[in-house]
Amino acid sequence: MPPSLPALIGCRYLLDVRSILRILADNIKRTGLPVPGDPGLLTSWSTGLDLPEKGDVILYTGGLYQLLPYIEEFAEYLEKLEGGKAGGLLLKAAGKLRRLASLSKIVVRPSRERLEYSRQVLVSIVELLKSAGVEIAYPRSVDSYSGVLLYDMGLDTVFKEHARKVAEALESVGAKTIVTIDPHTTHVLRKVFPRYVEGFAPTVKSYIEVLAENIDNLQFKQGDAGRVVIHDPCFYARYEDIIDEPRLLLGKAGYTVVEPRRSGRMTYCCGGPIESIAPRLSRRIAETRARELDEAGGEIIATLCPICYSNLRRAYRGLGLERDIQDLSILLYRRLGP
Amino acid sequence: MKDPRAEIIETAGKCLYCGFCEALCPTRPLGPHRGYGPRGRVNIAYMLAKGEIVASSHVVESLYSCLLCRACELKCPIALPIAEIIRNARGLIAEPGLNASKSPSINRVQVFARRT
Repeated sequence: MPPSLPALIGCRYLLDVRSILRILADNIKRTGLPVPGDPGLLTSWSTGLDLPEKGDVILYTGGLYQLLPYIEEFAEYLEKLEGGKAGGLLLKAAGKLRRLASLSKIVVRPSRERLEYSRQVLVSIVELLKSAGVEIAYPRSVDSYSGVLLYDMGLDTVFKEHARKVAEALESVGAKTIVTIDPHTTHVLRKVFPRYVEGFAPTVKSYIEVLAENIDNLQFKQGDAGRVVIHDPCFYARYEDIIDEPRLLLGKAGYTVVEPRRSGRMTYCCGGPIESIAPRLSRRIAETRARELDEAGGEIIATLCPICYSNLRRAYRGLGLERDIQDLSILLYRRLGP
Repeated sequence: MKDPRAEIIETAGKCLYCGFCEALCPTRPLGPHRGYGPRGRVNIAYMLAKGEIVASSHVVESLYSCLLCRACELKCPIALPIAEIIRNARGLIAEPGLNASKSPSINRVQVFARRT
């Protein structure tokens, strides 16, 4: 029997990229966020934390941790549109995909549990920085989405305009050091912004680097905290060379760090960067990595990036496995104390 | 900043077509053709920048399925900035007025035979 047309062209994975790019650009222009949502969600986590607005060292979250629950919901919505049996899926979904252009207006409502986890990560980071003796300020009006997805997707004109606004806001508070909390924001601020925004050259450090620099100030509980399999995010390990720092911190906090088959610079991607463009392909990559982390034989899996956390969590759920995945900040915060 | 099109032509044009990068690419073994691997993507980016192909659905699929994870760069013998080439090539597709087209698919044989 001759092969079918889908078999000849191969099983294709991507959603309508141009529509997704339009949605992304449209969302950014309307709210400054890549997915539908209220801009206030970026800063609401800090209510009641009594953080100063001004200081030499400021926290810039870039919004990924806060936005991830919304991005997850949005990706799941897109994945449903993509649904259908391999081969004929694009044909089946074609009618629905035409509606993608109006998706920027849909409302996504993440679960309370996911929103609470993101809040806990942010609070843990602040508490860790304070415990390390870092006088951290949080100018709420300056915190925003960094625009990293615009850059990654090649939307250079929209990114440049967005980056200029972000950089102007950051420069207006006159901080000497900007502390970031996820690998993508760290990279885009440190390496990409200076190429797109003339004169933008502040010191940008990940909170992990800052904690490692001040490791002697951190007091952790005594005793064995368990075996932790570390998943290095590509953007820390290969773009920013942040590899030793999380291991040092986990070690000091009493954890035994277990290396998966591929770790450090040789790490394997979680599949997250294409979750909104090619959800099925993204999931297959995540499942490969999830199995690999599992084979390493730890009790907990540590992620250092909200995208990795989200994608690996979904992968384990898809595989029907219950695994304890935790953000590095949560693991370290748990161990703070005499 | 350099003109992205010129930058792609300059850097991607150096690809040796050795294929060492493919072994490390997470998407290559899962994709239906070599456009899902770094070697294919770099050469598609090169031809797109030169204006030899248009941004067809196959081109979009190839360039936008990349994770930008840079695993491929670990084995490139001439240290090509592969992820940067691919990201810059996305700019040629995403930017309005630049090469955006719904024209027919490229001939894959043409793409992969061209540089061998």
